Amino acid sequence: MDMLSLFLISIPVGFIGSLTGLGGASILIPLMVFFGIPVKEAIASAMVSVVATSSGSASAYVRERLANVRIAMYLEMFTCVGAIVGATITTRIAPLYLYFFFAAFLMTSFLKVGGGSAQEGRSGEPHRTGRLSGWLELEGSYFDEATGETVHYRADRPILGGMGMVVAGLAAGMLGIGAGAFKVTVQENVLKLPPKVASTTSNFIIGMTALAGTSVYLFSGLLNVTLMAPMAVGTTLGAVAGGRVLNRLTGTVLRVLFFAVVILLIAQMLYKGIRSW
Amino acid sequence: MVRKEPEGSGETRLETWVSYVLITGVAISFVLEAAGLILYYRTHHSFAISYGSAVIIRGRDFFSFFGRTLLEASHGVTGMRLMVLGIAALILTPYVRAVTSVIYFTSRKNVKYCLITFFVLAVLTMSLMMH
Repeated sequence: MDMLSLFLISIPVGFIGSLTGLGGASILIPLMVFFGIPVKEAIASAMVSVVATSSGSASAYVRERLANVRIAMYLEMFTCVGAIVGATITTRIAPLYLYFFFAAFLMTSFLKVGGGSAQEGRSGEPHRTGRLSGWLELEGSYFDEATGETVHYRADRPILGGMGMVVAGLAAGMLGIGAGAFKVTVQENVLKLPPKVASTTSNFIIGMTALAGTSVYLFSGLLNVTLMAPMAVGTTLGAVAGGRVLNRLTGTVLRVLFFAVVILLIAQMLYKGIRSW
Repeated sequence: MVRKEPEGSGETRLETWVSYVLITGVAISFVLEAAGLILYYRTHHSFAISYGSAVIIRGRDFFSFFGRTLLEASHGVTGMRLMVLGIAALILTPYVRAVTSVIYFTSRKNVKYCLITFFVLAVLTMSLMMH
């Protein structure tokens, strides 16, 4: 594999990553490992592509006022701490375990698909929540043009949600991925945020989580410029293209694509882990 | 397409600031990395991935690394230097976003969110400085 092929692979990866909500890194890392790039270098370098795709797409979500900046900033307190701890663990454990951790964490992606639609269409007045949520003003509203309704919401159980974000940050830092699917799951199922707010706010947070992890890798000698540059350029291009066609695809197509990609990646990482045993 | 209803609050200004910071950072990084890749190929006539120490980013702390990268770039532009500069710009983007948020909430005298954003900024700063 050379830089040109990594760049060319990164374009469809960014495209599929943005369509499925998996982000670029969780697809790119198993592919890089498949092509013989050491797993630690792959994980560390892919964190940069997470920052690229997240920052690029989050700028639009924030401008459209769909991502909730206050909720994001509250949750970032937890994810950043988790990411630093996770990245530190990765620099100190044997690569063998990372294959299995990666495969196991990819399985949590199915939670998003399973639980995602249950909260869809939440509208009207915000439901009752604790004092902390009210004090922190973890609430908002947006006009959903698909349903023609203004959706009001307020985050539920902020402490529990915060703990979930520590786990998400830990996994993100350890595995070099955004852990977006898990973050969305926590926001939908614990904080009870509407799916559209959950996915866009998650996207907003991912960049900050990745930065916290990247900073650890910066000093570990695992950040390879010849891996990072083509990856960042390719995934950015792909993610931008993916964002443009997302609305033209049906939910069923996206769901099938999501399942197919995740199953393939889990199988690949497990195979690699078992072979390295 | 989904749009949140305008709330008429100052939060809109924060969202605009944050949006500009993010898109500017990604655009600068993209241009530098793309130009770096092209220049690298023109110099080396190869796109081979290297694992040598020359292509590994390593340093005592991010800020000194960033300063050193800028200094090296001022001595002459090479493909590798442009790529490193692009990566540094990308890493810096969420950090600048955190700084922007602290400035915003401080200017609005919002103590709660000033503390929250300051905590995030402090954690990031420590992680970028202390290794």
